[in-house]
Amino acid sequence: MNGAHDLGGMHGLGPIDREIDEPVFHAEWERRCFAITVAAGFLGQWNIDMSRYARERMHPAEYLNTSYYEHWLHGLQTLLVEKGLLTEEEIAARMLELAEEQET
Amino acid sequence: MKALKAEDVSDALRHSRGARVDEDVVPKFTTGERVLTRNLHPVGHTRLPRYVRARHGTIRCDYGVFIFPDAHGMGEGKKPQHLYSVCFTAQELWGPGASAHDRIYLDLWDDYLDPA
Repeated sequence: MNGAHDLGGMHGLGPIDREIDEPVFHAEWERRCFAITVAAGFLGQWNIDMSRYARERMHPAEYLNTSYYEHWLHGLQTLLVEKGLLTEEEIAARMLELAEEQET
Repeated sequence: MKALKAEDVSDALRHSRGARVDEDVVPKFTTGERVLTRNLHPVGHTRLPRYVRARHGTIRCDYGVFIFPDAHGMGEGKKPQHLYSVCFTAQELWGPGASAHDRIYLDLWDDYLDPA
């Protein structure tokens, strides 16, 4: 699909920022996001190309404004809901629960 | 549904399958052959970037038979076919303002290509 992921030739994004000794993960949630995505893949409900397609379907404005592992998280949520493993409501309820835990 | 157990993680990762398919498929092209990429705009998954559609290139090498992501990503099976490294001049992709010396190599499947 002609989505925001197909960036080749686009102007105006500026130079690529190369980090010296770049870490594999920049935050703990990225490590978890990676692990959960790989673990969920072993459920056998989708393949790697379907995972890529799930990320590509993010709205272009949101895609360009979010980081690599945010794309992963979005793609995973899309697949979990599409395959009927979770509902949007369950995800929203759990996020609310976690937010309340953090406040207390 | 079978979930992955903690004690099985390293084995599972070590033995996870790649995209190469052990199947005899006749290649459409040979090394050195000129090709023209198709001008495809599928709404599904594709690995053919926009900047390399309807462009002339040359087959650099044949990697063998691989899963075709455009079909696999849509749940339409593996559609195994040959995957090639295809060479394009920078000027073919980016016009006369690009360097006359640079080349760009893309890994492209049989279904993206026509004989030039």
